[in-house]
Formats: sequence, structure tokens, C-alpha cells
Amino acid sequence: MSTEPGPKTPAAAAPEMDPAFETQEPAGLYLHVPYCSAVCPYCDFAVRRGDGDRADAFAEVLIREIRDVASGAVAPPDDPAPSRALGRLATSTFDTVYLGGGTPSLLGGDPLAEVLGAVTDVFDLDPGARLFFEANPENVDDPRLARWRDLGVSVLSLGVQSFDDGELKFLGRRHSGREAVVAVERALAAGLGTVSVDLIYGLPDQTLEGWSRSLEQAIALGPDHLSLYELEVNEGTPFFKQRRRGELTELDEDLQAELFHHTHTRLGEAGFESYEACSFARAPRHRSRHNGKYWRHAPYLGLGPSAHSFAAGVRMWNERLEPRWRKRVNAGQSAVAGFESLTAEGFILEALMLGLRTMGGVDLGDLRRRTGIDLATPNRDRIERWRDAGWLHEGDGPHLRPTRLGLAVADRLATELSVP
Amino acid sequence: MDTIRNFCIIAHIDHGKSTLADRLIQQCGAVDDREFREQILDSMDLERERGITIKSNTITLPYTAQDGKTYSLNLIDTPGHVDFSHEVRRSLMSCEGALLLVDASQGVEAQTVANLYLALEYDLEILPVINKIDLPSADIDRAREEIDSDLGLDPFEAALCSAKTGEGVGDVLEAIVGKLPPPKGDPEAPLQALIFDAQYDSYRGVVMLVRVKEGTLRKGQELFLMHTQKTYQIEEVGLLQLSRNETKTLEAGSVGYVIAGVKSVRDITIGDTLTDAKQRAPEPLPGYRPAKPVVFASLYPIASDDYADLTKALEKLSLNDAALTFEKDSSAALGYGFRCGFLGLLHLEVVQQRLEREYDLALLLSAPTVMYRVKLKDGTDLEIDNPVFFPDPSEIETTSEPYIKAQIWIPERYVGAVMELCRDRRAENIQFNYLTQGRIELTSEIPLGEVVFDFYDRLKSVTQGYGSFDYEMLDYRDTDIVKVDILVNGEAVDALSQLTHSERARQRALHYCERLEDTIPRQQFKIAIQGAIGGKIIARTTISSFRKDVTAKCYGGDISRKRKLLEKQKEGKKRMKMVGAVEIPQEAFVAVLKSEVGK
Repeated sequence: MSTEPGPKTPAAAAPEMDPAFETQEPAGLYLHVPYCSAVCPYCDFAVRRGDGDRADAFAEVLIREIRDVASGAVAPPDDPAPSRALGRLATSTFDTVYLGGGTPSLLGGDPLAEVLGAVTDVFDLDPGARLFFEANPENVDDPRLARWRDLGVSVLSLGVQSFDDGELKFLGRRHSGREAVVAVERALAAGLGTVSVDLIYGLPDQTLEGWSRSLEQAIALGPDHLSLYELEVNEGTPFFKQRRRGELTELDEDLQAELFHHTHTRLGEAGFESYEACSFARAPRHRSRHNGKYWRHAPYLGLGPSAHSFAAGVRMWNERLEPRWRKRVNAGQSAVAGFESLTAEGFILEALMLGLRTMGGVDLGDLRRRTGIDLATPNRDRIERWRDAGWLHEGDGPHLRPTRLGLAVADRLATELSVP
Repeated sequence: MDTIRNFCIIAHIDHGKSTLADRLIQQCGAVDDREFREQILDSMDLERERGITIKSNTITLPYTAQDGKTYSLNLIDTPGHVDFSHEVRRSLMSCEGALLLVDASQGVEAQTVANLYLALEYDLEILPVINKIDLPSADIDRAREEIDSDLGLDPFEAALCSAKTGEGVGDVLEAIVGKLPPPKGDPEAPLQALIFDAQYDSYRGVVMLVRVKEGTLRKGQELFLMHTQKTYQIEEVGLLQLSRNETKTLEAGSVGYVIAGVKSVRDITIGDTLTDAKQRAPEPLPGYRPAKPVVFASLYPIASDDYADLTKALEKLSLNDAALTFEKDSSAALGYGFRCGFLGLLHLEVVQQRLEREYDLALLLSAPTVMYRVKLKDGTDLEIDNPVFFPDPSEIETTSEPYIKAQIWIPERYVGAVMELCRDRRAENIQFNYLTQGRIELTSEIPLGEVVFDFYDRLKSVTQGYGSFDYEMLDYRDTDIVKVDILVNGEAVDALSQLTHSERARQRALHYCERLEDTIPRQQFKIAIQGAIGGKIIARTTISSFRKDVTAKCYGGDISRKRKLLEKQKEGKKRMKMVGAVEIPQEAFVAVLKSEVGK
């Protein structure tokens, strides 16, 4: 197998590992804490109800997975591709560690310290590595903030979702708008590197005015970063069932677009850059270095139930359900439940859908170098039309950089490009 | 001949016709219990499902009566829908008597009356049978009263039975023998046999079902078909007893089958008269009326790869369905398909469903139309059954459309609703005739084009099932037919064009535009959907360009899942039909075209 990235024909696609399908940079480490004190009706992540005690017990199993994967003691059975990819990841240098969930802030200080200790113990961490941590407002107080800071948390992501009590109730959250405000203020005062606020918009019956109030509140608090997601109703969630029964109606496309564009325009005025369809940073250093890895096909290792890993064109995923994951890890087995080796076409579609949702866009020249497939020539007229329509910035040749209008339709553009 | 009885069962829907037929077959031992299945004569799944008989079936039952003699009872089944009324008429022509079934709990219904009149038209002896006497709600006295007052029949002749439990079925059999007349006819006379149905057997070719009126049919005989003027040699004759039972001859008065080397049902015509080629009858039997398609529509396979399969399926289906016509057709939007002719909307629906179920084809159907006549300014006369061939309005001198004479039987209380329905369908000359207390026969002249769209369903709905309906073709009358085109960003979508009366044009065009607005996804540009007559726009909707299509959360491991979603969308896009630069999903055609028939 060639280790030199270079042009190849599509007929040679479907290798088990392909370094061309990976961006050369330090890897990211994701740790999934699946517990929440209650499960929100819109959430389709791998989560289950559990209190702090359960989360602490979970930490022990997670530590075992961390150690076993790092030492290469467990290998996914049946296929060399995921084993090799995991092996590669285990020996990588990491410059991000991300604790997500679920609700990582349910973890007690000591178990959290043990998890992070294990990570530092067994993985090669870059000295400038950033530690991301997701927390719910109801778990935020000064002692905990101090502890998280001491443990090295440099980016704190607060699951505020809304500042409006009615909306919070609808979303099944356990904090009030007032508590959210206090949590953000305290976090900002705690001297962490970056404080990010998560909000959800596009709720049923939400108006532009209603959303504006929440947005202005967020801007006024002065966070370093905002993650603003539109409500999506996914299969398997209580909201999905409500929609099927006709009890929940999503906003129509025109209003969704209006809210999206208002958000991007207003945050631009307030000094934020829209570096991704849902992500806004007050300065480039506040951009999410970890999420960027997902968007660039950088290598990442995911541990914990449902976590995904990626290296050299191979994507793997752990057992989604916590009990199954736990049984595997406790039995000394790999928790990897499945994997896929990206084909050139699959890699291209991902690169388009991920690239077009970021300010940086996607460079068709680079895609051609990696896959041997030229998209620029067969799509020349289409790309020209998109530039005329204002979806892409002018110039740049084969480098497609979406405008604000283009970001709003990134998925559509990704599927419209024809792949020869 | 004295031991033959030819009869049919006529009944309002759900009054138990098929169940009684089952019971008669069972009681005569024509089929043993092991072979027995419910509604044995309704052989198509579709018939069982809908509880209607579409294709007639016939069976000869041997019955030893109380007088000690063994009779041949020929039960001639009749279809139960107006589309197939030509088949009903031919079936009735093959009988001397009819069992008129009345539900003991519901009494005489409108359709019972209608069927009675039809049977009387053919001089059949009527034997009333009160069925479902086992029901707690059965009211035999009331049923008797209604047989007297509503039908004018002797209520004390009525046999009582429960086809469900079998009670009284013996009495019914005795009444058939005792009260229905035997056939008349002379086995030595020149041969006259009516073809009242035909089936296709993949080994033997066409099996003609015949009623011998005069003379005798025998193996080896040379046959002459009096209307189609063709000659065949008989290979086999026999009786129909669930399976075919070969006999030496079929004499005057009998009902049976004839196999004579006929390759396709298209080579013969139902209703034709068989005679002996060497000793011909002076004239054919009366009542010949070829089944002519009156409703036309195009069928397209949803996957264009299925075209070859659709061709084969139609060829096979038509071996057994002489009324179905089809010829090659093509649409810019939908590719190759067939222009088909049907006896009516139910026939259309039956054909469509059989193609979908028995041949596993996914189909699109264009708007059904009738045959219009167009006189051009240069004097040319045209017959148009396909919007594609409708001339430019500037060339047209006059248009005319077929009218039917509709007979509608209803309880008096629905007169208002039915009048309104008829007026809505441009009915002319509405007249009433009081049949009996509270029952009305309404006759009217209605454009056939107005009837083929859901008229029968609407009638059933406004009369809560009490209305019944029959029609015969009348004539062509001057009218104002226009062709409505549907334009997508200025390009006409040929498969969506339709012919309609000018008064209806706007309503129909708007309906199509709105359905398309609902089903065509937003695209890069604004899409105008218009309904137009010639260059004149009569309806319009628009679809805005897409503005928002990006997943909110896209991080963590859901990248594979998200990619698969987009792959699916891309796959769906490949199956879209291009009209100009606009991509139209198959679902849009299905939604638009289905809403016409299914309403």
C-alpha cells in the first residue's frame, strides 16, 4: 500500500486505509460521558439518565478503555483496518481533549481528575493541547469552576440553550434563564481561556423578535464563542413523536432562513466571525480547534459509548449503548462496534459537506490531489452560477468559499456538485 | 332440456350474493369441503378484496331434486359494477331466471330495484330470496312487504334462507327447479350460441363460454362467428364445473364452454353468435354490442427500465381482457409508456392494480379522458382521446363530446343532493319517475367526461350508498373542450396535459398547480407553475428558491450518518425527471395524477 499521498484513479478506490484521506496534523481525543440528570426531548445523542454517582462509576470504566486502547491491549476483531487505524491513533500526538456528552459536569472532581490523569499518563499530549469541557448551567459554581480550571480546562462550553424560561421548559432543561445568566458570568470571571455559550433557535412558534432577545442577551454577556444550533427533530426523540402526532410543527424554510441570516449578520456586527454554519468566535484563537478536526478529516480518537474515531480514511464507532460498551470494556475487549473505509466518492462528499459549512470552504484542487478526481471541470458552469447567485465568494478558482447565503444551503450545494 | 335451469343471482352489494353462490355450490357437492374457499367464484384477489365481482364466472351444478330427477343448474355469475354492465347484460341474456336477493335486515335497496328492471328487460323469471334470516335484526315481514310494494312481486313466493348458516338453502334449490322455467330451443335447429364470456388458457388458447340457444355444438364441427365473420373448428366442448368437464355435445338450452383454436380473446367478440359454418342460422342473436373503451389514459413505468416488463404484462393481461386496448406512447417527461383504453374508471383501476400486484410494476397514470370529436376550420374531422393530439385552438371550428343517458335510482330523500351532483356535472334534461312510494328513478343526459371522474363514487357518497346507476351511450353533442397544459418554468409537461370543458379548466389547472407546489422541492431558482390554455395563463403558483439547507449540528461521529443521508438525497435526485432545468421527483407526478382517480 502506498504511503505517499498522490493522485489515483477512482477504480483504485476503497482501500482499507488511505493516508490521502487524512489531514496531517495532531489528533483530537474525544471522551463521551453519556449521563444526564434528565434526557432532553430533542436530544438524539447516546445518553441515559443518571446522577453524579453513576457518572463517577462510569469514569472507572472509561479509564480502563483509555488505558487499553493506548496500550494496544484490545483490538477490534475480524479486520485489520480498524486495528491499524486505532493503533495509529494510540501513538499519535494529541493537541485537543474534549469531554462531551451527555453531561460531563456531572462528574465529581476526583473522578474527573483521574480520567484526565489517565489521559496524560498514556497519551502523547502536545504541550499546547486544549482541554474542552461541556457543562450545564446548574452544575456551574465557583468552587467547581476553580477545580475545572486547575485540572486544565481551557475551553468551557455551557449548555444554556435559551435564556427564556418558557423555552427552557419546552426544551426540557433543568435551569432557569436567570441561572444561565449567572453561570455564564461566573464562568467568564473564572479565568478560563475560552467560554462558549450553546443556544438553540428555530423553536416552534419562535419569532424573529423572540430569538433576537435571546441573541442580544448572549451578546451582552460577552462570551468568547457561541454555538447556535437550529432545533432539529431527529428520529427516536420525543419531539419526533410529537411531530408525527401533529403536536409539534417546525418553522417553515423561509423563517428558518430569516433567523439564520439575522443571527449571522447580527453577530458579525457584534464582532464575531461566522467561521462555521453554527459556530461564532470573537477572535480566531477562540475557534473550536477540536471541532475543526471533524471538518477537516484530521485524525481523532473517540472513547466512551457511541464515540467515533477516524484515521487515514477509516471511521470506527464504539458500541452506542452504555451497558454494551461497559460489558465489552470490562471483558477486556475492544468497544468498537463497526467501521467503514471511506471510498474516494464518500470522502469527496464528506469533504464537500464539511468544507462548505465552514468559512474556509473546500479546495477542489486539493481534493483532486488527494483522490485523483477532478470536480472543477465538470462543475464549472454550476460553480459560476453559484458565484452569480451569491452563494460563493468571487475569484479563488477551484477553491469554493461559501458566503453567508452559501453557508445556509451548504448541504444542498454539497449534493448538487456532480462527481464524475 | 327439462332438467336444465339457467339462472343468475342479482342483488344489492353486500346482500350476500357470493355467499349464497358458495352455499349452492357446496350443497350440490360440486366442490368438496377441502377444496372450498370463501367466495369461490371471485377468483381475483382484487374481487375478494373489494367484495365486487369483476369478471363473470359460471358453473354447472348437478342437483338431485325431491322429485328424484337430477338437474343441471347453470349458475351464471354477474359482475357488480356499472363499468361492466355490458357483461351483466350478456350474462342476463344467457338465463331464463334470476334469484333476486333481499337482505332480511335491510330490505329492498335501490340497486335491487335497478337490477330487477334490468332482469325484466330480458324477460327473466324472478324468484325473490330473503337472505340473512339468521341475523337478530332480520325483519322477514317487512322484507316481504317491500317485495310486494317496492318490487311488485309476490312476497309469498319468496324463499327464506341464510346463506351464512346454510339454513333454507335446500328450499332455494327446490324453488330454482320448481319455479324457474327450463330453457326452450331445438337441438335440431340451425346453431345459435351466444358467447357471453371468454377466458384465456395458456395451453388451450381462448375458452369461450356460451349459451346454446338453438341447435347443438359438437367436437369437430366447423364454426362461423356471425359478427366477426371468422371460421374455427371445435376442439372440445363441455361443462364448467369449477374445472372444465368435457362432454360430447352441448345442446340447445345448455351453458358450457367451447375450445376452437382461438389464439387471443382479441380474435373474438363477446356477444357474438356462433353458428354452424355449413348450416348457418339466418340471423345472429340480438343484443350484440361490442365492448368499446370509453376512458383513455397513459400508463408509464416509474422506473424506465420496467418498460419491457410493462409491455409483456399488458400483452398477457389483454389475453384475458378483450376490453383493454393499448398502444405505444411516449412522454418527454416520463419516457415510454402506453396509451390505454378502458371500459370505465373501475376497469382502469382494476387494470392498474393488477399490473402493480400481479406483475410487480410501479406505474404512473396520466389524467383519464374520453374520446372527443374535433372539427377543424379546414373541414377535417378528428377523434381525440389523447391531449397530445389536440389541435391548436386557432384551428378548431367546433368540438363535441360523448353524452350518456344516465339512470339513477334513489330514495326520494336524496333527490336534492343528486340533482346538485348532476348539475355540477353539466347534466341536461333531468327527469323524475316515481317508481313506488319513496323511490325515484332519475334520468338525465350527462357528458361522459364528467362521469368518468369519480361520479359513481360521489353518487354513492351523497346517497349514503343507496343510489345506484346505470348508463348507456347516447350521442355526441357540441361542447367547448379545451386542452389545459401545465407549464413548469414555461415548459409544458406533456404527461400532465388534460382535456376538459372550458368551465372546469381553471379549477383543474389550479388543482394541478397546487399539488405540484406541494411536491416539487425548492430549487436554486424560483419556479413558476402555470396552467394554460394555448398561450393564456389560467392558474399559477410559485415555488421559491431554496434558502436554508444545512444541518445544525455536525460534529462528533455523526459524519458517516450525515454523509449517508446526503448520499440518499443524491440518489433520489438521479431519479428525478428534468423539465427544462427543473427537477421534478416522481412523487410529484404520482401525487398529481393519483389525486384525480383516488379522490
